[in-house]
Amino acid sequence: MTDIQAEVAGPATAKMASMQSEMTRGQFTIAPWLYLAPALILLMVWTYIPLAETFRLSFYQWNMLPTSPQRFVGLTNYQRLLALPEMRNALWNTLYYTIGLFPMSVIIPLFVAIWTQDLGGRARTIYRAMIFVPMIIAPVVAAILWRWLLNEDQGFVTLALEGLGLGRIGFLTDPLYALPTLTWITGWKLIGFSTLLFSAANAGINPSYIEAARIDGASRWRIIRDIRLPLLSPTILLLSMMTVLFGAQWSFAYINVLTNGGPLKSTTNIFYLLWEYGFQTLSAGWSSAAGMIAFAGFAVLAAICMWLTKRFAFYDN
Amino acid sequence: MTTDALDDHRPSRSAPSRGFARGFGVHAVMVLLSFVSIFPIYWMIVTSLRPENEIFSTALWPSDPTFDNYLFVVTRVPMLQMLFNTTIVSAATALLQVTTGMFAAYALVRWRLRLSSVVHGLIALSWLVPFQVTMIPNYVLASRLGLLDTLTGLVVPNAAHAFAILLLYHAMRAFPTEVLEAARLDGARSFRILWQVVTPNMGAPIASLSIIAFISAWNEYFWPLLLSRKPENSVVQIGLQMFMTQEGNLWGPLMAAAALASLPILLIYLVLQRHVIESFMKSGIR
Repeated sequence: MTDIQAEVAGPATAKMASMQSEMTRGQFTIAPWLYLAPALILLMVWTYIPLAETFRLSFYQWNMLPTSPQRFVGLTNYQRLLALPEMRNALWNTLYYTIGLFPMSVIIPLFVAIWTQDLGGRARTIYRAMIFVPMIIAPVVAAILWRWLLNEDQGFVTLALEGLGLGRIGFLTDPLYALPTLTWITGWKLIGFSTLLFSAANAGINPSYIEAARIDGASRWRIIRDIRLPLLSPTILLLSMMTVLFGAQWSFAYINVLTNGGPLKSTTNIFYLLWEYGFQTLSAGWSSAAGMIAFAGFAVLAAICMWLTKRFAFYDN
Repeated sequence: MTTDALDDHRPSRSAPSRGFARGFGVHAVMVLLSFVSIFPIYWMIVTSLRPENEIFSTALWPSDPTFDNYLFVVTRVPMLQMLFNTTIVSAATALLQVTTGMFAAYALVRWRLRLSSVVHGLIALSWLVPFQVTMIPNYVLASRLGLLDTLTGLVVPNAAHAFAILLLYHAMRAFPTEVLEAARLDGARSFRILWQVVTPNMGAPIASLSIIAFISAWNEYFWPLLLSRKPENSVVQIGLQMFMTQEGNLWGPLMAAAALASLPILLIYLVLQRHVIESFMKSGIR
């Protein structure tokens, strides 16, 4: 490709041609690297070197004090961690958060987008504007709002439920309810975003397909199943992938502000656990090992998701 | 995801059988969703305006709205200083992400590098590394560099972001090829071409990126939580914590503080609504 371009653009003058060859024939030139340097250096210094350092620390025992020594312990951190019920519990909760988000990040928005396709412009714009607002609110603020709405004594939701004769529910204090509650709050911020993404994708579907199917006598449901859903599959896969890869990370802020992983560890997930090991109990080794386990797990998931997207997404070219 | 796709309404053609009942059902669902989205935010504002003896009231509007809670918030903790800090940090983060992103994207579009797929991979993969995984080394590094408890420390780790580079890269690649061909021929003046030809034509993507970067930086919580010591060197998201205590929360001031922390973002949203929604849709979530 570079050679063709050099040929097309090249032969004007000798000087120009030499400049071309310098730039395109793969000899080392410094200029592009100067332009790339700020970004690459920052990514190296604040992401990749720390990632390598986390990997190294996962084989050490260290209490994070600059003065205290780091002691090499090999795979002990990993062995201990994997034997801990706490760790298994956290992994299980991570799975719960991820799967629990799907109704709010994919399923409900998908059907809302399809059903609201026919709404007129003004109404749709207003609905869209409103359901998007939670998306831009800070996670801490969202956590605090729900803490207030759900608070056990005088929270609006508590009082409303009591008014309906349903009794009080310890949304954040009862281990049975805390995990679903945090999943709900995480999902609350996502519904609007997913709905918008699906609506845009849905509006982009070529109406002549649907027209043709209708002339052939296809029912409404068949049109959804055989035309809309396949054409929406790239968006479905994108949002599913984001839910799988980032869902557990998104819930982190809510765990931190609302429950600190409790009650009885019922809301701890893997990211919260490694935060606790790192900055509460100051065991850098355990935190790093838990971090590497999480990273490796999500890297595998990411690879699977990419493969699925390539394999199953249907593009209307 | 163009503007057209967003606004495209072809109601009647794709819906021959929209009876009243169906239309009503759709509106009911949308009203319910809108209510669920907006009510918590409305309730925050209402609570923040309630006098102390009415905090636990469920009336939809305070009988005697007051700004006492706001006054409490700005006098008890350095909330105004924190708001100022947050503004500086968010603006600096957005500016730096645009700058580093423009340079990197330009290099990737203009030069066909042998290593460009490696560079691409490195940039994209960095997006997948969760912050929690690298937090300990980052904290140690920040402390070695003397960045603990500084605003610089809050900005620097976010000064370049995979998302920024990739968004600008894709926008720049869609740029008229003649311009970039000219840039390619004119090796010596590449910086001028970036600055005087490319940048002025990248208004829309730069605006999108600035909005997202600013909002993300404004809403950032964990890095400041790790890095900041003194409230007056911290950001507003951290300030919220000060009204949550073991014994119970000061709900009125807490809601006022939450409202203050959200107000600038809500204002940006109201003014630039369409652009904000579009930028987020282009981007996926950060």
